[in-house]
Amino acid sequence: MMVQSKAARLRRAIIAWVTVALFVFPLYYWITVAFKNGRDIFNQPPKVFNFSPTVANFQEVFGVSFGLPRNEVLAGGGDFFMAPHLWSSVVIAVFSTILAVAIATLASYALSRIYFRGRHHFVNWVLSTRMMPPVAIAIPMFFIYKDLSLLDTYLGMILIHALMNLPLAVLMLKSFFDDIPTEIDESALIDGASRWKIFRRIIFPMAKGGVAATAVLCFVFSWTEFLFALTLTQTSLKTVPVVSSTFVTSVGTAWGNMAALGTAAMVPAFIFILLVQKQLVRGLTLGSLKQ
Amino acid sequence: MRSSDKKFHAANIVDKYVKGKISRRNFLRSTGQLGLALGAFGAGMNMGPRGLIGGNRALAQGLEPDAEMLAWVKEVSKPFAGQTIRLATEATPPSNALNNTLKKYFEEASGIKVEIEILPLEQVLQKMTLDIASQLGTYDLYYIDQSWAAFVSEDVHDPREQMENADLAMPGYDMDDFLEPLVDGIARYGDRLVGVPYDIPIFIMMYRKDIYEEMGFTAPTTLEEYYEQAKAITDAKGPEMYGATGQMKSGHYSLECDWTAWLWGHGGSIFNADGKFTGNDERGLEAMAYWRKLYETMPPGVTGWTWDGQGQSVAQGVAATMMSWGEFFPYFDDPDATKVSGLIEAAPCPAPTRALRTVEETGFGEIPGVGHQGGSSLAVSKNAKNPDAAWIFMQWATSKDTQTLITTLGGGTGPTRFSVYDDPRVIANNRVGAGTTRHLQVVRDTIANDMGSEPDLPQWAELANDTIPVRLGRYFADEYGSTKEAMDDIAQATDAIVQG
Repeated sequence: MMVQSKAARLRRAIIAWVTVALFVFPLYYWITVAFKNGRDIFNQPPKVFNFSPTVANFQEVFGVSFGLPRNEVLAGGGDFFMAPHLWSSVVIAVFSTILAVAIATLASYALSRIYFRGRHHFVNWVLSTRMMPPVAIAIPMFFIYKDLSLLDTYLGMILIHALMNLPLAVLMLKSFFDDIPTEIDESALIDGASRWKIFRRIIFPMAKGGVAATAVLCFVFSWTEFLFALTLTQTSLKTVPVVSSTFVTSVGTAWGNMAALGTAAMVPAFIFILLVQKQLVRGLTLGSLKQ
Repeated sequence: MRSSDKKFHAANIVDKYVKGKISRRNFLRSTGQLGLALGAFGAGMNMGPRGLIGGNRALAQGLEPDAEMLAWVKEVSKPFAGQTIRLATEATPPSNALNNTLKKYFEEASGIKVEIEILPLEQVLQKMTLDIASQLGTYDLYYIDQSWAAFVSEDVHDPREQMENADLAMPGYDMDDFLEPLVDGIARYGDRLVGVPYDIPIFIMMYRKDIYEEMGFTAPTTLEEYYEQAKAITDAKGPEMYGATGQMKSGHYSLECDWTAWLWGHGGSIFNADGKFTGNDERGLEAMAYWRKLYETMPPGVTGWTWDGQGQSVAQGVAATMMSWGEFFPYFDDPDATKVSGLIEAAPCPAPTRALRTVEETGFGEIPGVGHQGGSSLAVSKNAKNPDAAWIFMQWATSKDTQTLITTLGGGTGPTRFSVYDDPRVIANNRVGAGTTRHLQVVRDTIANDMGSEPDLPQWAELANDTIPVRLGRYFADEYGSTKEAMDDIAQATDAIVQG
């Protein structure tokens, strides 16, 4: 075993910490903006640590839900009460993720295990749907949704986000199922198990990590999706990325409020990832070692 | 005591109390005599995290919509109670004041629910375009930027036609009270009125009084003087402070707005009477030469800023002057948000270097003037599901009384009605502080004497938001061999689009 010198270890540690700082600092700075007043946000030189923290931005964004007085007129600001939109985002992201993963799991298992004519083309076709720029289908989807009365509804948003995530989910999960030896299926078949039973009792539990990793990606994509959420909603339903843009006003951007909402919006995604963290690590390493 | 006197008195009392000029005892006594006592006291005490915005909130409780007007709303809305009307609008001070403070009075009186969707300007255009194309009628009211007027002119009701329905016409609405230049510049397209003027951001000169006094300057009266002052400040104080600033983000509408001010200010125009692009003629090139040298006096990074960054550069003391939207002025006076509260003065835009071209010499109704206006109108959609309810709300929202409240509560935004500028409640806010109205006389003078309006043609939204600012951005990125080459390229692209 190679023993590293003290200097080499120190160098590695410094590089590691600098790399971490590069990723963490923008996050830290964004969170501090949420706790700064207007003057401190734009102070020259920037106030990175030495500022007077305030929760005013959070009060304005979530004030009503905490029973705090709501500012009636903000300088250049709009209706900044955002708690319902955060909840809408949670509902849409969670249910679209469940839907996408449920369909993709079955589809990808079938693509991985069942041989049928043109299977290879089918996989390519699934992949090709991700190649079309979303903006190209946003307007046609608007008219389809209008005819189906799905505009501005939870169902409509859940469906479009699930549709958007399906190709990626199918391809990801297929690769996870491909990594599970087919001999396991064959042994179970010989023992008299049905395809469904094999999937439910044997293969799916083995691919749980991959399912978790796919679910995290689907959740994050839905959580941050902007174009469809903007085009297919109207007055009653909004997601966090769409309402974040309302902080851009005719007399400037309310950065403090935007940062407050952004900081709060990280929490549900963070909780979701924590919940699946154990499976996620397994999923990310699944298939890293070939037999 | 008359209602208006009572309101004026209330405004003065609250203002004095907020500034600490009268004691709590005297404040309570005075407001009690006006029947406002506890509400106004609570409001006066409730200085929120945004400081003087709390003062405005105090006024919000002391100044309420006219009772007679609300009685009319109640009576006329009876057949429409229970309906919901929708409006998508940019987050402008009038829309915010309506949405956050005032619409509740209308809703209580009428039984009509008002949903106001606040969006960035480009998203408002997208929503409106989809609504028109689909004829869905999601939005009963359209917020129409002046550059879209031609594009939507056939999709909204002309308010003059709606006024003919006497059953729904608001008593004393007075269409003639809207400032005539705004009606022409914002709402008129051909023979039609595309709604009524709703808000009026307009270019005025804003400068740091302390810096100007230190340098021995007075407010610039000509464009050349403005440049000389800007250069002197940058030379003396740069890089900590710059003499001028801009909204010059490549490909953004704001860049086009800056360009038109300099173009018109040098006697040029975007189009000639034949509808051909003329920004590349002698006057257009003079304007570009001026702009280029003024650009050298601006902070680095100005080509990445829209009006947001421009305003911030003044608010944080990086730039000493700004010829831009007057809406920023009340923000600059907010001591909690900026470093320049009380230090900024408003002045008319410097005079042009040559005589302005007349409307007859330009094309598509373009009105040259250094004071570029970016106003908007409000109109009832022809696809509206509840057009009558929307028309009642629109009249109430643009009436004299409501516009006064919008100006008072909405942070000193410029009114579109003549009478509102002289309303005692508006004049009462003529003091240093958030939501000040001390710049409004300059705004009114600019509207009357020096307002520039962009041309009205269906392709203008594309030209102003893409074709012209993209190429101007490339010019400032030095991608062209010469100014002439850049402007010829814009001319070629613009003429091709106009000719279809």
